[in-house]
Amino acid sequence: MGNSKDTETKGGLKFSEMLPFDWELLRHAGSEPVPNHLKKWWFCLGGTVAYLFIVQLATGVALTFYYIPSPEFAYDSVANITHNVRFGWFVRSLHKWSSNFMIVALFLHVMRVFFTQAYRHPRQLNWMVGFGLLGVTLFFGFTGYSLVYEQLSYWGATVAANLAEATPLVGELLGFFLRGGPEVGANTLTRFYVLHIGFLPMVAFMLIGLHILLIRLQGVTELRFENDPPEKAAGHFKFFPDHVTSEMIVGVLLMYLLVMMALIFPAELGERANPAVTPPHIKPEWYFYFNYRLLKLTSLKVSVVLTMVFGGIAFFWPFVDEFLRRRLKANDSVIVLIGVVAILMIFTFTVWESFSG
Amino acid sequence: MTLVVKRYIVAALSFFLLLSLLIVAFQESNMKRKETHQDAIVTGANEGCVTCHMKDSPALVMEWEFSKHAKVGIGCIECHVAEKGEVDAWKHEGTYVSVLVTPKDCARCHSKEYEEFSRSHHAKAGEILASLDNVLAEKVAGLPDNNADAVNGCWQCHGTIIKFEKDKDGDILRTGKEGKPVIDADTWPNSGIGRLNPDGSKGSCHACHSRHAFQSKLSRSPENCGKCHMGPDHPQIEIYNESKHGIAFYANRDRMAMDKKGSWVLGKDYSAAPTCASCHISAYMTPQGEVKAASHDVGERISWTLRPIISSKLNMIIYEDGFKEDFPHTRALPKIGETLDTNEKVVENEELVNKVVSRKVEKIVTWEERRDLMKGACLNCHNDTYVDNFYKQFDGLVTLYNEKFARPAKAMMDDLKKDGVLKADAPFEKEVQWIFWELWHHEGRRARHGASMMGPDYTHWHGMYEVSKHYYTEFLPAVIEAAEETSHALGNKYRRKVEELLTAPEHAWQKGLSKEEADALKSAYKKRYEK
Repeated sequence: MGNSKDTETKGGLKFSEMLPFDWELLRHAGSEPVPNHLKKWWFCLGGTVAYLFIVQLATGVALTFYYIPSPEFAYDSVANITHNVRFGWFVRSLHKWSSNFMIVALFLHVMRVFFTQAYRHPRQLNWMVGFGLLGVTLFFGFTGYSLVYEQLSYWGATVAANLAEATPLVGELLGFFLRGGPEVGANTLTRFYVLHIGFLPMVAFMLIGLHILLIRLQGVTELRFENDPPEKAAGHFKFFPDHVTSEMIVGVLLMYLLVMMALIFPAELGERANPAVTPPHIKPEWYFYFNYRLLKLTSLKVSVVLTMVFGGIAFFWPFVDEFLRRRLKANDSVIVLIGVVAILMIFTFTVWESFSG
Repeated sequence: MTLVVKRYIVAALSFFLLLSLLIVAFQESNMKRKETHQDAIVTGANEGCVTCHMKDSPALVMEWEFSKHAKVGIGCIECHVAEKGEVDAWKHEGTYVSVLVTPKDCARCHSKEYEEFSRSHHAKAGEILASLDNVLAEKVAGLPDNNADAVNGCWQCHGTIIKFEKDKDGDILRTGKEGKPVIDADTWPNSGIGRLNPDGSKGSCHACHSRHAFQSKLSRSPENCGKCHMGPDHPQIEIYNESKHGIAFYANRDRMAMDKKGSWVLGKDYSAAPTCASCHISAYMTPQGEVKAASHDVGERISWTLRPIISSKLNMIIYEDGFKEDFPHTRALPKIGETLDTNEKVVENEELVNKVVSRKVEKIVTWEERRDLMKGACLNCHNDTYVDNFYKQFDGLVTLYNEKFARPAKAMMDDLKKDGVLKADAPFEKEVQWIFWELWHHEGRRARHGASMMGPDYTHWHGMYEVSKHYYTEFLPAVIEAAEETSHALGNKYRRKVEELLTAPEHAWQKGLSKEEADALKSAYKKRYEK
């Protein structure tokens, strides 16, 4: 036993000394005033995604306790989770619904940022980071769905790998990287699993950290609405407790909705994957319907190139926007119109695909 | 929105979230209960039974827990309860119960099924006790003091009279502290479909609805009927397995909705194949809607009887009290309201006796109407030309068997009896009696049943081929031999009779084929094998 002065405590435990940290700084950071427009609910969408991401982490960790990433056992282990493991059906359903909600919230968040033009200088970088997060989330959805190893998810993975293979120049390499061989099989499952539970969460964490850091450094955009009187100063309210309470409402409501969805529409299990039998109707998850419809309307190569072009424009949008306004003298109405057309196209293709056989 | 309002919203939402989580917990425990059969409702009256029998015969209780009965609180007592004074009743742990659960017991809830079943051919299966089949098992195969062949064989399908061990005064022997009646081991266990029960009811629901789980999928399965409808004399299950119906069933069992709760309707709940139940008992769709047949009168849709020596079409006479008789189409039909003397087999003093009862005719169902009921099932998958032509093919085979073999063979046997060659009280004395027996009872039935359910091999090779081969090479020579054994004069008489019979054009093939026929045969074989 040491007898050093440092280890002695006077009058009980002193937490602030055990963890030397500027607590005042945290209090300050936590109660930073935020602009009044954040009271509008659609500004909670980013927080919604973050919240759902935490739900995904918690339920995902629980699912890994029972999931076995091999072609022989994958399907059976999911069946075991669904039918035998205590609350397994519930956790799996939460994971499924939370992922769907997350993608919806992400799309809405992107739309909000687009139409409030919050991506403009100096926040171009954060738009790109956010777009990276959208890509990571979609990849999450794709790999996760494939892990179930039922007929539709198996063939969905096969189609996706074929799409990747059609990418110009690097297609062959990309296809092989996804599948780990000429066909979807054992190697595909292990790499999807590692990507889904290891690599993608790590990347997501880093990007989310960067996303929030950039928000804090640059501050939230000061937004003025058209019908605001010009003399109105941008008001502020406290992050804590005001905004945090709003986020709590969203959080509890989301959790309630997730639980109800899990109860009413629990995650189901289709037929076991059979590499020998192609089902008559292959369909990816709904958030890939746009690409799938594009594929059906054009050809494999053209659809991949188009997706890359659209994706590229979206990723570099802050700079495209700048170019359109500065060089082509486009006004804000044109920018809004482009957004509306893009959304209508995505929406139409998705609905079209969902109603087609 | 003020902070206070927000806080109230958080509180309200949290309350709803908590409620939804409670539903999740309820759902989870419900799933677990279902898996471990804890959703069985054990009522107060059954608690004692379940507690003890869970130790004595746990699998039996577990099967009951699995049943639909258990889910609605129908337990041991509801079926096994008995009245004081009933021959099979005894006071067990304070309650009068009986081992036997008879159709009358089931009728307490399933009265419609009981009525239908009681008038059915199935319920009369126990009447075989006074038949040649039983003579073969009890006398021919048995010993004077050992009828084990009948006990283990015939009676397990047909049913038997449930009897009790008696003391020297003729009272039922009772055993143990509770005085449990001792059932004659020859008669119990027995789940024969025509069992003759001490309460006067006929049959055993358990024959098709195996206790104690009473699963629908079991009674809908062809294998269930195949326990009895099989073998050399009535190979229905083998024929079904050979038929397109059977092939489709076994390949598509997973699409047959075998486990469906409630009604199971062909053309609505399933389409892949018919099972025995689909055609003979269950409901099916028609253009007018669902035929809620679900009749436990299993012979209702049968238009031919294929059992006797000579087949006939069957009209059904239903009397006022629900009693039913089949009239061969050759017998004149009575009028509605007419009173007829009917023969009913009943048990008196543990013996089967014939009782003549006057009954008033209430309804007549002609053989054509019965056939239409069956056609209704067929038409779910086939068009009317197909169904009508099938019946033409089937009728053709039965008529062929009847006219070419059954009728002349029976006439020959009747003549032998008249001439004193065969004795009425010695049914298996001479070889010709054995040959004749197998000719109609085994081979002839196989051919007719084969055609009725579209089993080609059973119709021909196991059926008509055997009938004709044995008719020409065994039966007719045995007729002469039996007559010869009696006297040379009778031998000559029957030799002439057989010779005369064989002069008919349908037997002319024996003398050889015509030149054209022989040449055609030769060239066909040459073409086929000389390569």
